Amino acid sequence: MQAGLSTKNAPSPSVVLPHFVFAALMFLTASVVMLVAAPQLVLPYHLNSGMLTLTHLMVLGFITMIIFGSLYQLIPVVMEVKLYSEMLAKITFWLFGSGLLILVFNFWEADFGSAQNWLWFEISGTLILAGVILFAINTLKSAFHSERMDMGNIFVVTGIIYLVLTVSLAILIIINFAHPFIPVSVLDLLKMHLTLGLTGWFLFLVIGVSSKLMPMFLIIHKLPDYLLKYTYYLLNIGVIALATTYYFYPQPWALMLSALPILAGIILYLSYNYYAFKHRFRKNLDTGMKLSKAAFIILAFTVLLGIFSMVSPDFLSPFQLHIDIAFIMSILFGFLTALILGQTYKTLPFIVWLQKYSAKVGKQKIPLPQEIYSDRIASLHMKTFYVAFTFLILGELAGLVWLIQAAGAMFIITAVLYNYNVFKIVFHKEKIIENE
Amino acid sequence: MSNIHQLTNKEREIAERLKTVVDPEVAVNIVDLGLVYEIEHNEEEKSIRVVMTLSTRGCPLGDTIMQNVEVVLEANYPGYKIDVELVWEPMWSPEMITEAGRQAIEGM
Repeated sequence: MQAGLSTKNAPSPSVVLPHFVFAALMFLTASVVMLVAAPQLVLPYHLNSGMLTLTHLMVLGFITMIIFGSLYQLIPVVMEVKLYSEMLAKITFWLFGSGLLILVFNFWEADFGSAQNWLWFEISGTLILAGVILFAINTLKSAFHSERMDMGNIFVVTGIIYLVLTVSLAILIIINFAHPFIPVSVLDLLKMHLTLGLTGWFLFLVIGVSSKLMPMFLIIHKLPDYLLKYTYYLLNIGVIALATTYYFYPQPWALMLSALPILAGIILYLSYNYYAFKHRFRKNLDTGMKLSKAAFIILAFTVLLGIFSMVSPDFLSPFQLHIDIAFIMSILFGFLTALILGQTYKTLPFIVWLQKYSAKVGKQKIPLPQEIYSDRIASLHMKTFYVAFTFLILGELAGLVWLIQAAGAMFIITAVLYNYNVFKIVFHKEKIIENE
Repeated sequence: MSNIHQLTNKEREIAERLKTVVDPEVAVNIVDLGLVYEIEHNEEEKSIRVVMTLSTRGCPLGDTIMQNVEVVLEANYPGYKIDVELVWEPMWSPEMITEAGRQAIEGM
């Protein structure tokens, strides 16, 4: 058809859809783990099997997996290029997925004592790293062919580079556990890993993708893109400064100073979002965008927790550990989960709808993308999610196991409802609406 | 070629037909969304030409909407040569949405 149209670059749904199904199931698994492992989630040491199983199920199984699937769809569409290799994407899925399952099973079984066997950690870590490198090759090769390198696309490409750094560091940490060779404390290495993963990979990805999708979903033009540019520089300076400070000079004042650009970058990004929501043409938000709006409010709350976590004022010292864990949980189970739950409804139905109905458009009466899932179920799990998240944060801050178990139960309900809709969309059977 | 605001009777009829083409994301038709810029009907050459845009570049539903325009015109005007041209200038903005489109979006 016409030059400038990009939908035809979209890959086959068989590349994208398995990522959404796998991710939804991992979210459910993580919710069950939260319920079962609740007593371990308030322990005074982070490196316990329950916490590591839970965080990696969320970080790799749910969040990263769904980002992989979304980027395979989004990069070709918004960058107006073909995906470099669909076969490579399918191989990546299996390498990454199998590596993740082995890794979390080993975390669950591990006691991290002196007799701990690290072999399966090394194998699973290698599978995950191989998957990540193939993903990076595939997406970066596609992106570099694009002639549309605007700020949103630059954020995405930079995020992918941070992902490779994050997973490479994780492999070094695993090897260092088995054969110590890095002259830095394990805790500081893990904080480097967290900085690269949470701020480098996730935040860059979220900013890049949201800057592309928000104008479409909210109906808004002329967003203050200069804010994104400053956010980009500040976040890069902050991530690199904080990660290197953890390695070379992990003193509290130096760490706080290094984190300041990240804080400033997030505040600018939140201002950008505030502007978008305030000036949007489409005033009535659907469930997907309500959850996305909630995600940005949770991000502001998470930043506050992050400030308390880093500054660790004296009057909060008895609660320091609780605040640290609540901060991480707020990122994973709050900000990122709300965003993914919401954006699933803004992307997945359209991918399936295009596959099933694009050839029938205009010829037969067909359902709209919004009509191939249950909005009632989506609205219900939005409410259960709010309750679950509130229970989790209060449970972590107060160190109450029963409240975290209640959060786990509410997250299970949320995940079951979410899975219901994901499966309903993915396995949607074509239907033609009869004329009245 | 007639601007969407200065159509002949026949071109107005074509615009009405195009109102059956809906942007699936916002569930509002493309004419009221202000996506159709120009319509040209030539009876002698038996041709219809539509110049339109999309709300954003990289719109995931772009070619589905364009295909829908072609299908609707081919079905309603058999024997006509149909030409649908996509342009990015002038860039679409929410101010181009008609009053009916505004009401449809606000009522959602």
